[in-house]
Amino acid sequence: MKHLFKPQVFKTFLALLVLLLVIKTVWFVVEVLWLPAQGVDQVTKKGGKSLYYRVKLTPNKAAAPTTTVKAPVKPTGGSIKEIKLLAIYNASDVTVVTVEHKAKTKVLSRGDEINGFTLEGAGSNFATFSKSAKTYKVMLYKGKTSGKNKSSFTTVPSNSPSLPKRQGNKASGEVTDAGDHKVIDRSLLDHYAKNMDDIYKNIGISEVKNGNTLKGFRITFVRKDSPFAKLGVRRDDVIKSINGQEINSYNAAFGVYKNIQNVDNLTLVIQRGKEEMELEYEIN
Amino acid sequence: MQMVKKILIALVLIWFAFIVLMPKQEIYYKLEKVLEKSEIKINEQKIDEGLFTLTLHNADIYVKGIKLATVEKVNFFTLLFYSNVNLDDLVLDDSLKSMAPTDIQNASASHIIVNPLSVSLSADGGFGSMDGYVKLADKTLRVDFNDSIGVKMLQPKLKQDEKGWYYETSF
Repeated sequence: MKHLFKPQVFKTFLALLVLLLVIKTVWFVVEVLWLPAQGVDQVTKKGGKSLYYRVKLTPNKAAAPTTTVKAPVKPTGGSIKEIKLLAIYNASDVTVVTVEHKAKTKVLSRGDEINGFTLEGAGSNFATFSKSAKTYKVMLYKGKTSGKNKSSFTTVPSNSPSLPKRQGNKASGEVTDAGDHKVIDRSLLDHYAKNMDDIYKNIGISEVKNGNTLKGFRITFVRKDSPFAKLGVRRDDVIKSINGQEINSYNAAFGVYKNIQNVDNLTLVIQRGKEEMELEYEIN
Repeated sequence: MQMVKKILIALVLIWFAFIVLMPKQEIYYKLEKVLEKSEIKINEQKIDEGLFTLTLHNADIYVKGIKLATVEKVNFFTLLFYSNVNLDDLVLDDSLKSMAPTDIQNASASHIIVNPLSVSLSADGGFGSMDGYVKLADKTLRVDFNDSIGVKMLQPKLKQDEKGWYYETSF
């Protein structure tokens, strides 16, 4: 009888097939016993609650209704009386003041303009503004208890020796107290948004977990005299939410960090001991 | 001699079959499970399996739920005695631009059996090029930057020696 294949070739081929079968079987057993059939994917929440923003409905912030009546053109700038000096921060290299103008709070640093007046400097209880080569001194507003609901002001000679010299425009800012809320200078916020390392030099944050679920972030330390200390947060406070967004994941916290430069207000819900508190900030 | 030849051929065949029949995709899923413990997740659009390779297309890398990077192509290659992971067009999230170069054209990590406790690294991108290694025994990592101009933003985290700027850390 004539063979189609040489028995030796057939035998080798068969051995090869058995070898492949054995290896495949080994891998199959490994696959069934130890390897997962599916991978792990990050599931991102879709259609979730949109961020809550506190909106201040001040007349100068709200969009003007469409009207056909042409208003007479007002001259640019106004009176110094319209500026109320709420707070002063005066350091060797930076001067920042908080003023209220037309029911809106604004943080100014040297050289900034409001109502046509330019901030030139500040003393312990006054700020100086200039306009058309004239210098105006606005006294610190002391609240309604002082009798008048206005900051007092005087005109001072423009060559007054008491005026601090304008310094280089450094990227810095302050947190100032405006009564029911605090005002954060946007330049300060921008600085920390761009320099994440600087955040951790001033504030320590660790996660708070209940089992595998992240419940928030605990403040482990706040550096004294840092802008973070002025925010009113303390050691052992637990940050629960920011602008209505629950901080129950790193992604949520990072989302706030990424969008921080686009918000005008911040509402922080923290847990201090057994008490839950809401801290409000305006970014100017 | 004939016997030795046969044994060698059999070993080569076993090695070849072992790699080719390897359930690469499932091993990659196992890697994903291991990475999940460190809160690292990879979302890939497509997985291609080759004879010696596994390629991920458009992979998004998440760390603690935060999308930190997107890689156009991740290629795993192994011959068992030599393995390599190659990343093409790695783009870090824009929010990290103040901390690290956001655009890395190519990055690779290689392991060779003759030096089992070391993984060599290389990358090039907007920052220039870099070479480095991971010492698995000492649990240290060192990366040498070959271009001093491109590493300006990283300099606060770098050290300098006679070779130039380098980054060193332990894990």
